[in-house]
Amino acid sequence: MPSQQPTENHLNPIIIVGAGHSGVAVAAGLRTRGWDGDILLLEAEKETPYERPPLSKELLKAGAPDESTVLRKEKFYQDKRIGRRAGLAVDAIDPAGRTVQLSDGSRLGYHRLVIATGSRARSLTVPGARLPGVQALRTRDDALELKLALVPGARVAIIGAGYIGLEVAAAASAKGCGVTVLEFQDRVMSRVTSEPVSRFFEQLHEQNGVRFVFGAAVTAIEGVDRAERVVTADGTSYPADVVLAGIGVVPNQELAADAGLLCQDGILVDGHGRTSVPDIYATGDVTRFTSTIDGTSQRLECIQNAMAQADQVAADITGQDAAETEIPWFWTVQHGVRLQTAGVRRADDEVIVRGAPADGKFSVVYLRDGCLAAVDTIAGLADFRPAKKLIAQKARIDPLLAADPGTPLTAAVFAAA
Amino acid sequence: MSNNKLTVIDREGSTHDLEWEPDQTLMEALRDNDLPVLASCGGTASCATCHVFLEKEVFDTLAERSEDELELLAEAEGYQECGSRLSCQLDFSQDLDGVTVTLAPEE
Ligand SMILES: Cc1cc2nc3c(=O)[nH]c(=O)nc-3n(C[C@H](O)[C@H](O)[C@H](O)COP(=O)(O)OP(=O)(O)OC[C@H]3O[C@@H](n4cnc5c(N)ncnc54)[C@H](O)[C@@H]3O)c2cc1C
Ligand code: FES
Repeated sequence: MPSQQPTENHLNPIIIVGAGHSGVAVAAGLRTRGWDGDILLLEAEKETPYERPPLSKELLKAGAPDESTVLRKEKFYQDKRIGRRAGLAVDAIDPAGRTVQLSDGSRLGYHRLVIATGSRARSLTVPGARLPGVQALRTRDDALELKLALVPGARVAIIGAGYIGLEVAAAASAKGCGVTVLEFQDRVMSRVTSEPVSRFFEQLHEQNGVRFVFGAAVTAIEGVDRAERVVTADGTSYPADVVLAGIGVVPNQELAADAGLLCQDGILVDGHGRTSVPDIYATGDVTRFTSTIDGTSQRLECIQNAMAQADQVAADITGQDAAETEIPWFWTVQHGVRLQTAGVRRADDEVIVRGAPADGKFSVVYLRDGCLAAVDTIAGLADFRPAKKLIAQKARIDPLLAADPGTPLTAAVFAAA
Repeated sequence: MSNNKLTVIDREGSTHDLEWEPDQTLMEALRDNDLPVLASCGGTASCATCHVFLEKEVFDTLAERSEDELELLAEAEGYQECGSRLSCQLDFSQDLDGVTVTLAPEE
């Protein structure tokens, strides 16, 4: 592979801020693409960079080891000459001087800067939200704290029925906790999936002892020294030993915004990960960009996007072409049942259920203007790969054939008119 | 345990000789040696971007594929009933010393 080697400023490293999924993938991708110059990963957390998906899944299980799943083994960084400084945050960027300022006061010059600071859990703002016993789940420390609190008999109140809240609900009920999920909307995962899928997962959780309260607006958390109950707008209070807030994430964009990079609920980037300031890139959860599929402005919070944008950045820095971007996709596992989604559903898509939810295994197909836009697969992956391909092709789908689980999705495509 | 030797045929048909370390899955050995394996799910049998072909004699010695693995592979380009595996589902084993794996086409 031909590759552009460092020329000007070659004494300075490529600095990557944030060693999460995306930052580490940029570092690895630069080496794979032949970049020979110095690479420095700066990370606020102390430990070896790790995977987040297991934090709400495997790690919480009874008997599961506390060790996190690392993204790459320590040896990898040495072998690939990827420098790391852990436990140091970047406090400021000076684009004119091409330097970053670290939390220990030191300054480092960069050749290219990559902002991969991810997102953080949105905080609850109601009175009592800071009481001990109230927490979110984003980091390994959060997960270990939660794991300790999930003891048999503990009363767990989960605020928000998104995928993290529900994965925790599943783990907590499996451990013998009494779990109540308080959700403002009228169904679970309403932002990411359709009603049939929501209803299926609600039933699954209820069969496992989880209680749902919909239309619940949390107004306060009360307790003397620590959280004892969650209060909702209708005056009901729910006793709780543990309160988990799973109410979405916000991008860690302040560093960029302060340095004058254009941000709008996410750092704005183009299809190469370039920000509004030359030689500064951004990638992963922290970005907002225009979808190549339907032209909408979006912020995606998933591994697929963290990896795809990392490749775009590594490709642009080395003057190469990025790999073709996968269709956005996502997975969650609750009570051992996997929901895997390809594409980004919209609320006004036509919804076609493929198979019978009562069988415990089905898919839901989403059509937009007659074309395949997204698919949810539940407890089976047979439709997943065909769906990714057909979504990329914007294939026109026959709704009647798509509703028949016996017909492969590829055979439900209308022949070109 | 000592490393395994591993021969990889990439998507252009070129051959690479690698060391497969005992604490790596096959996917990790490929990915960490700069072969173009995206592995976007981190090895949880979700993405199928780590699809490889094994020789039938080697394939036959391995444990059965899980249902998730099978469903993801069955729809893959070039699927081989007696050769396709998700490399993230293959742990190191000394029995696999010296094997040749071929990267499946990208989709
Ligand atoms: C519990 C949980 C479960 C999830 N499950 C799934 C799943 O099943 N499937 C899926 O696709 N996605 C899942 N996600 C989402 C996925 O983890 C994110 O999309 C992904 O981590 C984004 O990668 P990133 O590199 O952009 O950000 P992150 O992984 O958040 O990494 C950003 C890093 O930057 C560091 N940082 C921030 N600011 C600074 C600073 N100023 N200086 C230095 N360092 C800084 C942070 O400490 C952090 O380590 C899950 C997320 C969570 C929290
Ligand atoms: S790495 Fe995703 S399926 Fe193997």
